[in-house]
Amino acid sequence: MRKLSILAVVLAVGALAAWLGLPVNEVKAARPYEGTTIRAVVNAEYVKYSLSLVEQAVYDKLGIKIETEVIPLDPYVAKTLLEFNSGKSPWDLIMFGPSFMPDYGRHLEPLEPWIQKLKLDFVMDDIPDVYKKLMLRHEGKIVSMPYDGDVHIMFWNKVAFERPDNKKKFKAKYGYELAPPQTWKQWDDQAEFFHGWGWDGTDRKLFGAGASYKGNNYSYYWWRPRFFSYGGQYFDAQMKPLINGPAGLRALEEMVKTIQYYPPGVMLFESEEPKTMLIKGEVPFLFSWTSTGKRVGNPNESVIVGKAGFGIVPGAEIDGKIVYRPDLTPGRSMAVSKYSQKKEATMKVLELISDPEQSLKIVMDPKTIMDPWRVSHFKSEKFRKSFPGADEYLDAILKTFPHVVPDPILPGASEYMRKLSFEITEALAKRKSPQEALDSAAAEWDKITDRRGRDKQTALWGEKMSEMKQVGIEYHPDWAKKAK
Amino acid sequence: MAIALDRPRTVSRSARALRVRRWVGTALTWVAVVAALLFFLGPFFWILTTSLKGNEDYFAYPPVWVPADASLKHYGALFTRSSGARYFTNSLVVSTLSMLAALLVSLPTAYSIARWRFGGGFLSLFLLVLRMLPAIALIIPLYIMYKLLGLTNSYLGLVIVYTVLYVPFAVWLLVGFLRDFPVEIEEAALIDGCSRLRALVSVVVPIIAPGLAVVALFSFIATWNEFLFAIVLTGIETKTMMVLVTSFTSGGTDMFYGEASASVVLGVLPAFIVAFVLQRYLVKGLALGGTKG
Repeated sequence: MRKLSILAVVLAVGALAAWLGLPVNEVKAARPYEGTTIRAVVNAEYVKYSLSLVEQAVYDKLGIKIETEVIPLDPYVAKTLLEFNSGKSPWDLIMFGPSFMPDYGRHLEPLEPWIQKLKLDFVMDDIPDVYKKLMLRHEGKIVSMPYDGDVHIMFWNKVAFERPDNKKKFKAKYGYELAPPQTWKQWDDQAEFFHGWGWDGTDRKLFGAGASYKGNNYSYYWWRPRFFSYGGQYFDAQMKPLINGPAGLRALEEMVKTIQYYPPGVMLFESEEPKTMLIKGEVPFLFSWTSTGKRVGNPNESVIVGKAGFGIVPGAEIDGKIVYRPDLTPGRSMAVSKYSQKKEATMKVLELISDPEQSLKIVMDPKTIMDPWRVSHFKSEKFRKSFPGADEYLDAILKTFPHVVPDPILPGASEYMRKLSFEITEALAKRKSPQEALDSAAAEWDKITDRRGRDKQTALWGEKMSEMKQVGIEYHPDWAKKAK
Repeated sequence: MAIALDRPRTVSRSARALRVRRWVGTALTWVAVVAALLFFLGPFFWILTTSLKGNEDYFAYPPVWVPADASLKHYGALFTRSSGARYFTNSLVVSTLSMLAALLVSLPTAYSIARWRFGGGFLSLFLLVLRMLPAIALIIPLYIMYKLLGLTNSYLGLVIVYTVLYVPFAVWLLVGFLRDFPVEIEEAALIDGCSRLRALVSVVVPIIAPGLAVVALFSFIATWNEFLFAIVLTGIETKTMMVLVTSFTSGGTDMFYGEASASVVLGVLPAFIVAFVLQRYLVKGLALGGTKG
């Protein structure tokens, strides 16, 4: 009897242990890094919000919690590089602009050894070539994954282009059919045509086009697609700036000439102001970051839902063919810090947040300004039906990819861009002539190159120039005269 | 007779003209005051109402000045999703500690300079030099030093740097107060058996309270609003409210207009409350400290 009681107790305890233990083991199998917290750093609250969309999935699958620090955009690069240059980093997962790869690259952990060690799958076949070739590598090694696929596309209000009265008036004045612009010549004609009257059939005084001409990089991004489509390039092989050549001059002269057709205050506009004017029906067209599409399709703020068109940013007609050179703007990438004490767990997190399913959640959410970057994002039926015209919007981005031009991906990229942007805005404000402004910018670029080490910069630029050549971007000094 | 009759009429005419002039003067003053209030408080009013609006009201036309269904949901989101509670607490703790530290350090320093010319003219001049250095010039060496000492991402590190920054102003202000304080009162206290410390605490401090209030207010508000050191020397545990405000307002707010506005309101409010509560002392203190000494 006593033996039976002991047996019963042992069995009961065993059963209880099994009952308690089984789920624990299951959870352990499902959450292999339970109890681990990694630290991420991003440059805006909306980026933190975007990470929060996948945090639950990260915890459910890996057992890892993400603690995200936000450092505001302006001091972001300085503060993060200050930490990295001290040889330590409080962060495991770091967001950065791929244009700053030469500055960040040496602080990032190469992915390939971990791909082999942990059998990670970043689904590289699902990433467009332009990112793979231009944005993910440092000294030939893959060190990051895209997070926000920034490119510029064109957006227009179909009302402006489809009203019969507008079509008739335009043809009478300019001698060709009114349609969304394909070249800069057409863009400028249409900006002039639409400016100052109610092209939507109302008696409002509306504006010719939208743009962002503020001197803190924006005016540079609005000058660049013209410059490159007129055959421009940042430097020659000896690192002599080419921005003040015929292509740069033509681009800037056109901008100065047509600024009168843009809304007052365009010189102070950053990204959101012209987007707001587009979705309020006040400008007929603009080009901007692809996240604009989600605002265009949001009925809470947009009056052009279902009436918006999407396409590639105009180019220049060279020998009968249009050359498009839209901006590949900085975007955002994610990488694992070389100084992280939790590299394995962070690699797993990077894999998960970059996978097609999780990254789709991030780029689809209308509250993030994270843009699609995987091929599967563009094919996602869910995304293509997420707002009226979403399919045209995604097709326009996909059509843009083969033509994009990246930032000058060199150490000090931000300095080069800011100096040029400042001078472009000086010319737009008519404080300098276009040639004077571009000459000053070129002189400033030379100073930056000398300060950073001319030989080092020239060698790095040589690599970047050949990468750009691979995607078809080369210097053509004769195009500025030829371009129509 | 004629003169007697004409006189009151002349007087009443000039009195009426004077009244009209006064009335016009008052009216113009009020117009100017209202215009100035609209100019300075208008943007804050817009931010305040935006923090209470729903998403659909941000861009509504005609504009929604006061939301019909005001809600605190953006404040809620700020405190939950954006770690607002942590940042707010950090700001309160750091500002309060810096304020106390500035008072504790500056009062004895100012007292020793005022009473005994401690350090000759050199100490007060040296303190002023600290104010002459632009913060940006200090930031990199300070960061490296803090990193070596393990003071980054700590309350202590922030309080030390803010105290060092605000003590010169506090000392110079308090020296003025203390020099004007009648030494005879203090000597009477000493004759009555008070120690020097007791005389300072029980006799001098209550009388120079307006000056101390100015120092307290200045230190609190300056610490609350400080950004450069707060961004470079802090980490995720010690970030302050101004860093949160900037992380919403720099680089485009996108769809987070409500939370961005809520962060601005919360970023301004405590400094506003402290200034409002201490304004009586502030005016008195600045006037006294400014004219004497």
